[in-house]
Amino acid sequence: MVRVTRRGVLAAAAVLGGRVGGAAAQEQPLPPHERELYEAARREGELTWYTGQMQAEPSEAIGRAFTERFPGVKVNVVRSTSQVAFQRLSQDMRAGVAQCDVFSSVDQSHLAFLKRQGRLTQFRPHNLSGLIPAVREAGDPDGHFQVTYLAVYLLARHNRVPEAEAPRSWRDLLDPRWRGQIAVGHPGYSGAIGSLCVALRKLYGWDYFRALERNRPHIGRSAGDPVTVLNAGERTIGMGVPSPTILLSISRGNPLSLIYPTDGTLIVPAPSGIPRNAPHPNAAKLFLEFMASPAYGQATRPFFAESLRPEVPPPEGARPLDQVPLLAPTAQEVEAGIPEVKELWRDTFGV
Amino acid sequence: MSRLVLRGLTKAFGKLTVVDSVDLALEEGEFVSLLGPSGCGKTTTLRMIAGFLEPTSGTIEMDGKLISSPGSVMPPERRQMSMIFQSYAIWPNMTVEENVSFGLKLRKLPSEEVRRRTAEILEIVQMSHLAGRYPAELSGGQQQRVALARAIVVKPSVLLLDEPLSNLDANLREEMRFEIRRLHDEFRITTVYVTHDQAEAMATSDRIAVMNAGRIEQVDVPHLLYTRPRTRFVAGFIGRTNLVEGRLAAGEIAFDGFALKAAQLADRVPVEAGNRPILLSIRPQSMMLHRTPPDANGRPVLPAMVAERVYLGESWDYVVRPRDSGLRLRVAAPPLQVHEVGESVWLEMDPHQIAVVD
Amino acid sequence: MRADSVTALPKPATPARAGGLLDRLRNIEPVSLLWVVLIAALLFLVAAPLIKLFTVSFQAQETGAFTLSNYATAYGRQRYLDALVNSLTLGLLSAVIAIVLAVPMAWAVSRTDMPGKGLTWGAVLGAFVVPPYLGAIGWILLAGPNSGFINQAWRALTGAEEPLVNVYSFPGLALVIALHSFPLVFILVKAALDLISSEMEDAANIMGAGPWTTMRRVTLPLAWPAILGGFILVFLETIALFGTPAIIGIPARINVVTTQLWQFFEYPVRVEVAAAYAMPLLLVTVGLIAVQKLILGRKGFVSQTGKGGERRMVKLGPFRWVLFAWCAGVGALAVVMPVLVLVQASFAKAWGRGLALDNFTLRNYALLLFEHEMALTSVWNTIWFSAAAATLAGAIALLVAYLVNRRLVPFGEVLGFLCMAPFVIPGIVMAIGFYAAYASPPLALYGTATLLILAFTARFLPIAYANSQAAVRALHPEMEEAARILGAGRLQSIARITAPLLKKSLLGGWLIVFIVASRELSAAVFLVGPRTRTMSVLLYDLSEAGNFEVLAAFGGILLAITLVLVAIGMKLAGRDFMLRRE
Repeated sequence: MVRVTRRGVLAAAAVLGGRVGGAAAQEQPLPPHERELYEAARREGELTWYTGQMQAEPSEAIGRAFTERFPGVKVNVVRSTSQVAFQRLSQDMRAGVAQCDVFSSVDQSHLAFLKRQGRLTQFRPHNLSGLIPAVREAGDPDGHFQVTYLAVYLLARHNRVPEAEAPRSWRDLLDPRWRGQIAVGHPGYSGAIGSLCVALRKLYGWDYFRALERNRPHIGRSAGDPVTVLNAGERTIGMGVPSPTILLSISRGNPLSLIYPTDGTLIVPAPSGIPRNAPHPNAAKLFLEFMASPAYGQATRPFFAESLRPEVPPPEGARPLDQVPLLAPTAQEVEAGIPEVKELWRDTFGV
Repeated sequence: MSRLVLRGLTKAFGKLTVVDSVDLALEEGEFVSLLGPSGCGKTTTLRMIAGFLEPTSGTIEMDGKLISSPGSVMPPERRQMSMIFQSYAIWPNMTVEENVSFGLKLRKLPSEEVRRRTAEILEIVQMSHLAGRYPAELSGGQQQRVALARAIVVKPSVLLLDEPLSNLDANLREEMRFEIRRLHDEFRITTVYVTHDQAEAMATSDRIAVMNAGRIEQVDVPHLLYTRPRTRFVAGFIGRTNLVEGRLAAGEIAFDGFALKAAQLADRVPVEAGNRPILLSIRPQSMMLHRTPPDANGRPVLPAMVAERVYLGESWDYVVRPRDSGLRLRVAAPPLQVHEVGESVWLEMDPHQIAVVD
Repeated sequence: MRADSVTALPKPATPARAGGLLDRLRNIEPVSLLWVVLIAALLFLVAAPLIKLFTVSFQAQETGAFTLSNYATAYGRQRYLDALVNSLTLGLLSAVIAIVLAVPMAWAVSRTDMPGKGLTWGAVLGAFVVPPYLGAIGWILLAGPNSGFINQAWRALTGAEEPLVNVYSFPGLALVIALHSFPLVFILVKAALDLISSEMEDAANIMGAGPWTTMRRVTLPLAWPAILGGFILVFLETIALFGTPAIIGIPARINVVTTQLWQFFEYPVRVEVAAAYAMPLLLVTVGLIAVQKLILGRKGFVSQTGKGGERRMVKLGPFRWVLFAWCAGVGALAVVMPVLVLVQASFAKAWGRGLALDNFTLRNYALLLFEHEMALTSVWNTIWFSAAAATLAGAIALLVAYLVNRRLVPFGEVLGFLCMAPFVIPGIVMAIGFYAAYASPPLALYGTATLLILAFTARFLPIAYANSQAAVRALHPEMEEAARILGAGRLQSIARITAPLLKKSLLGGWLIVFIVASRELSAAVFLVGPRTRTMSVLLYDLSEAGNFEVLAAFGGILLAITLVLVAIGMKLAGRDFMLRRE
């Protein structure tokens, strides 16, 4: 498993820097490999996509963009937190039922686990060649899954808190000044928060969280919950919030701002894979091709997703990733660590 | 041939026997009442005849065919009977006409005939002008007529009535009683009528079966039930009476304080030798009070004293005590015949009206 | 029997045989077959999931061998035990609050001259119609310690630092739950109070008791069984609730049995441990019902003899306005405030921007109605599942009620018992039982609409049955007998006489089940597959997505649909179809 190294991403970001104005990729005619798959996919007519990578709106938009590009193939978007999506897939498998065609999670360990169980289809989309190398290499070397989303998690503040006084790092959150001000998700419901816990535990040890509990953070469920809480004005600092969610909220006029923590912005390559017993395998493969294509980048950019291809510019309002420190736990660390941190979390925070 | 035969009909609920070995045969066109106090089993018997209950033992036959026996009961819908329920059971969501024509429609008769017969029967029960009304808009008496019409229009083999008049007030009851008998006479339907009201039974029936505690005590035409009751219960239940116990020995019936010659009751007293107790039923109306000893003409006359009296408007109700007797006899007297309490009178009995109850 | 000269019996023309087999067959009623079918259906719906739940709790996950380890796991950690204690405490507190809220209202509406009774009915109906999890979200907006409207207003008024109310607390959670369960208490207590004749109160008045003393010492004690019944109902509903404890409880750091059960359904799914953990819920429920029966036993409380006597309204003088304020207050808390707040959010571009003219948009609704893949599907799913469940439950309930009431089959009580049994099973436990019994092969119903419909049918069978029983009991059997003696067979008379006469109450029962099923979350959340998500589950999912405005809009849609259904119900089945004895 190749780590998404800081250097790798920085290199990618350097390539990105300066390249503005993505061409309207969907105007281009279908390349032959896509055309073949398309024929087969059209016969299947639809696919079901379990995803926890992005919110409902962007996920729906992706589904629509796909159908626009490949008319006649409908996408059933089933969006929930990654944990819940994985749960549903597990229930499917336990019941011997095949419903899911493509599974996308922010938690690499989900896909790693499925690969080990032999439950994933091996498929390497042609379009992978056009991805930023670091992103491409973060996928499974054996081709059982690929990275379709770069999840970025950082801090957010309500504009009530002036920039000068805001916390600048994860560590700063332990300051008693922020008592009763912080909101965060729950690793039992969100794979991203699970990854964050693993990364912070590696950095500071679990005592970090015990100290955090003294500040009585507001615990929700998904990683995006704090945005709601901040918008409501209930808390002022969001911890581990996905960048697209905040950027979207800001674009709508909500009084929020991003904070890139000095001890590292968490990035999580979020993979997608095709279950072996997918009922619509060709549509699924076509979908993976789509997710590695520029059209996908175009569709997701309005939702502030990080760009995976050099020709698609980064989202509006986001800082280029080569300019910030990063936290990037490996897939093994995440897989091994998440079950542990879930129990530790529950013991520490009581829920 | 008998229309309906009940043979040893018995119904028990657990340990409780409600109907006990009832035997009864009805002729075609007969109007028979089942009369008795509540709990005597008359309604249960009726419901067995209808087919709603299964007999524990015994059978019911109609026109020579077995229709009810333990384990095999022909369902009510196949018996060609009709029933009028205590609650009338008029369907509230249908008009009078729809109620009445229900049975005819079930028989799949042509609609012209249905309409004709419905109109006819409504005319007969004088409900034609209310044919389009709903039951909620009708009075008790009118609902009763609808129930009658509905039951009769299908020309049933047997008509069953379960205390149909008990929910009506006194005046209406009399009117409807007459109406029911009139309809019976017009259509000659074999009818079984359940009631606890003896006046009703007497006024309408060809014969009356008096029931008590699940058994039939006596089946007879009304006037014989009245004049010749054969059990203590029947004597006490039908009309008011004085039940007097005595001892029959050597041609004489000895009562407390007086005696009668057995010969005077010749046709009713069993001619046996020996010494045995005997029970007489003497109706209050069958005795007369005199101020002076009357000319007896062979009728028993006793000296007595007035113990109590009640003025009822239509008559006097006297309780007299024969001299040297502890008996208290009720005597009815016309309103103008006034005696004071404590007065000595002469009590005259009419032996022809004395009934021997066993 | 005395042989009368007039009634010597004629010789039997047909030899009286004791009824041959053909005779019996000819006279068999089709209802006996029906009984077999119903028993099978009830065993499938009620008995099998429960038995499976019980047996699965003793099975090891991989091997299926007998083991007690599930129970050891379920009760081994302090945290799990704490969750159990939390559930019980929460149940108690919510029930008490519900009683405090509802009993004065019931007394006011039933027995006094308080004005605005129509409004009070409206408040009760509203609280019943708004799903608890939607109300919870509204209350977050109202009573979040920092940003809730109430607290903001409080701070503005008094300049205080601390919030007035904090929804993220044990009392806060209990209050939000009580605000949506109090209608149960209201209905029960009002029904009981309605039966009390004013003569009871008169008797007390004559001896010198004023209206308050009379209420305290005569009227309310007479309604004590209803109060106890309401208490138990709210308690049971609370401990089985999932949505509100997830939405409010987690931030409040309150873990309860239902959210803990959810954890056992995380990957890897540990149905066996979940089953073991769910057992106490079941035992508590059964125990409570038994205790209730024991306490109330054979005591007579409300005089049931025919004429209840006339009921006069107690005159309260100016104090009736205080009562009205109380009722209005409850209505505001339970219905008006949360709904207003949600509606405002649903039309907002950015909820954080607050009330402003430029913050108005229809986009949230448009997104749901036209763009969101699942929204309309979930509406359709909800309608179709609820309708199917209501029909199935209604049919079974009617048939059983008919058979039992007319005493047509032996052991009819068993059928009736099976129909009422799901009442004692918390919805979430029922769902786990169904999952354990039918989700995997051989039936493999996981993710299908069938599974949900069956689970809903089983869950709401008691409501349908109670309704059918009351309806059938009120119908005089002589109505059918009149038809039968005229020649209609039993089935024919049911079709032409019984069913039309029962139409109204059957319809009312159908609608109640439909409405309750359409908001069901606790059971559904465990059983839905990706394509069978109902509105409630979608709402729950949306509450995790951080997009509050869309969430509020979807809540608005859910409410609108429910209101339409209730309006239809009132039109077809009478204004009080929901508020008769449930």
